[in-house]
Amino acid sequence: MKTWQRSLLMLFGLLAVFGTAAYAQVPNAPTVEFPYTGNRTAVWIVAQLHILFAAFILGAPIFVVISEWLGYRKQDPRYDRLAKEVIKVTVILYSMTALTGGLFIFVLLATYPQFTTWLINHFFLIFAVIYPLLFIGETIVLYLYFYTWDAWKGDRKARHIALGVLLNIIGTVTLFVIDGPTAFMNTPAKAEGASIVEFIQTATLWDKVFNYSWLPLNLHRLVGNVTFGGFITGLIAAYMYMGAKDDSERAYYDWMGFVGNLIGVGALLFLPFMGYLLAYELCDYDASICPYMMADQLSMFFEMQGAMIGLIFLASNYYIWLSMKRIEGVERVRISVLAVLVMIALPFVMTYIWTIYPVPDPKSLAVLLPLVLLPVVFGRFIPFTVSSRAAIKVSFLMVIVGNAIWMTPHGFVATGAKLVEELELPGDWSFLALMPAKNSAAITLVFVTVVSYIIYNRAIKQGTIVWGKIDFASQFVLIFLAFSAIWTMGLMGAVRSLLRKYYHTYNLVPDFTAESFTPTLAYSAWWITGITLVFYIIVSFAIILTLRVSESKAHAHEGSPAPAGAK
Amino acid sequence: MSEQPGFIKSVVKKGVIGAVIGAVFFGAATALGFPPIFRYMFLAYATLGTAVFILLDAPALPTFGGIKAVAALLAFYLVLSVVYIGGASLWPQYDPNDEKGKIVKLLEAKRRASEQGKAEELLARTKALDEKASAIMQRLQTLGGPTVAAPAAGGAKAGGAAPASGDIVALGKEQWELQECYNCHKLEGKGGKKRGPELDNIGNLMKAEEMKEKILDPRSWMAEGFEKEYEKKKMPDKYKELMEDKDVDSLVAFLATLKNPAVNTPKPVKKK
Repeated sequence: MKTWQRSLLMLFGLLAVFGTAAYAQVPNAPTVEFPYTGNRTAVWIVAQLHILFAAFILGAPIFVVISEWLGYRKQDPRYDRLAKEVIKVTVILYSMTALTGGLFIFVLLATYPQFTTWLINHFFLIFAVIYPLLFIGETIVLYLYFYTWDAWKGDRKARHIALGVLLNIIGTVTLFVIDGPTAFMNTPAKAEGASIVEFIQTATLWDKVFNYSWLPLNLHRLVGNVTFGGFITGLIAAYMYMGAKDDSERAYYDWMGFVGNLIGVGALLFLPFMGYLLAYELCDYDASICPYMMADQLSMFFEMQGAMIGLIFLASNYYIWLSMKRIEGVERVRISVLAVLVMIALPFVMTYIWTIYPVPDPKSLAVLLPLVLLPVVFGRFIPFTVSSRAAIKVSFLMVIVGNAIWMTPHGFVATGAKLVEELELPGDWSFLALMPAKNSAAITLVFVTVVSYIIYNRAIKQGTIVWGKIDFASQFVLIFLAFSAIWTMGLMGAVRSLLRKYYHTYNLVPDFTAESFTPTLAYSAWWITGITLVFYIIVSFAIILTLRVSESKAHAHEGSPAPAGAK
Repeated sequence: MSEQPGFIKSVVKKGVIGAVIGAVFFGAATALGFPPIFRYMFLAYATLGTAVFILLDAPALPTFGGIKAVAALLAFYLVLSVVYIGGASLWPQYDPNDEKGKIVKLLEAKRRASEQGKAEELLARTKALDEKASAIMQRLQTLGGPTVAAPAAGGAKAGGAAPASGDIVALGKEQWELQECYNCHKLEGKGGKKRGPELDNIGNLMKAEEMKEKILDPRSWMAEGFEKEYEKKKMPDKYKELMEDKDVDSLVAFLATLKNPAVNTPKPVKKK
């Protein structure tokens, strides 16, 4: 796509933002009815697509600049090439973000004019001034960053990296700013003893932005965006590996997939805790949100989330497994038996401990920290070790055990109102459905994945990795991870929106339309899958357009790739 | 190719081990009194574990590209889509119809107060008047004289039929359901998750006006033994805005009938 075409798209996006702010002032604007999908689903589709593009363009630059810096520091051109290839795709998807953003506001105004007007009026400074300015700033810096890539080399590289840091600062501020109205819709600002309606009339913009779920949403989205960016990088690498013409290309894209997966999984490890923090704040805001999420209408959405998280962790570990198969000398790598024993004990011990001292009681960490640090501190003094293969097999076993605990429901019903004995967990085992068990399952998944990566890292350092010779199935694992991460984002995005129940803004602006009910999980799954596929088609097109088609102007091969520390 | 016989052997071996583990899980779950659905869930976990361990020893997939890779990718996406939609459809589904009627009732007062509600009410009145006028005209034409028609039976009331107001306790029970009080408070052994006290005997412990005070200002009273929940403000401070006065009165009337001394409803403590 040429610069003028991209600029046109950007202009369209900006016009949409300004135009809608003006249109929002029109009194009693008539509503439209979307055929087939209905208005709510139409907004859902466009909003979710916009969020997926936005997540990538905000998440990818974070590790792009880190990769560029690594390339500069290590004088390793592979990192620079990776960063440049990802930013190429980011630039294309940036236009799509603007386009879908404009479309989102148009659809919102056409379908829910009164509410949209109300929201824009409450956040007028953000929608009409701050957000457009940030968007313009980000556009300028992104293009500057992209187009100066080759010009600012050598001595000027540090300046280019600084530009990348600036891009990320603006991107992160943009995310935090737009999270204000988003979080406000879930947890509108309130004050003790005051009526919420009255308080909103006198509240400042900052009062409205700094609501209960704003900070946790910022953190959750920030970490989620990096995870997402990492997995999309894995997807780019997989596509390019599949289309590679020679061994050196395959070697490079094998390495790129490894890095993308490493970033994706690295950030993924923090996601369950960020999600927990967000849920905690939502429940703290209004305790009735909790049962709606976990025990009532949305409980099965969380079952599906558990299944998705389990699959993602299994796939991440499987990628390590496949990757280790091509490391020469991997059989020499061993790990302390303590690590394996802790992996096995963790879910059971922590369920017991957290039942007595629930999170966030500081005592809840008193056993966890010594337990996870045990292999690190005492591992070297214990002469017993196990092979890397055996340890990773235990990891797989514990991912399944952890996921089984995560997914065990209190009852196999979609609403607590319909719970009968034949569908309910026996009383003696009901602890399996409580938060201490769920938290211990999450920590198990995270811990075993960390151990797997430690083993993997040792294997890379002690053995010789043969880039480009990985099992071809690993490319499907990378694609699977990206697809599943997007699908899970879609699912949890739907959950966050549905938590507003029959309100546009929770407890403040009711949704009087006939569509304000909780949809079924099956119905939601159809749309989430559809949205994921549309996003995939566009991203695939962007990858092919920017990387494969432009490959004819190929760059020189950047040597045989080998990660830091590899022999 | 030489890996194939070894892999088949591995599949058989792990399949047998998986089947044994699955059978042990199923048997243990039965012995421990798990309902059938949970037994099958454990069986499913054993099957998943078996599949994963079989996959670990699968022979390497040879590299391929071109049309074959594109076809494989499309097939892969198709499988993923089918599995995710199918998987989500297998879980128990919430019936939106359970909620739709409730939402209409819950938002009725707000709708009436809103601009949209006022416009709808006006339209309904106009329509009712039109119908009445048509009926009068029709009758006049039939009779051939200026007789005034009797009002239509039941006369269409603006804004739809009002709820039966006779049984305030039944209306209060409806409010209990609509506001989903059962999610935190157990009643007759049903609902609740230890977030709030059981209320079976609340009618013997609190006066009507005290209950009303607690609903409208959750900080005003605390249930003994629920200090932590009180401190964490578990009871939402939103009902004064979400409920109309008559709804609170009917809920209180219902709660006042709950006088079962067999249930140990905690003693309320005045806090404000």
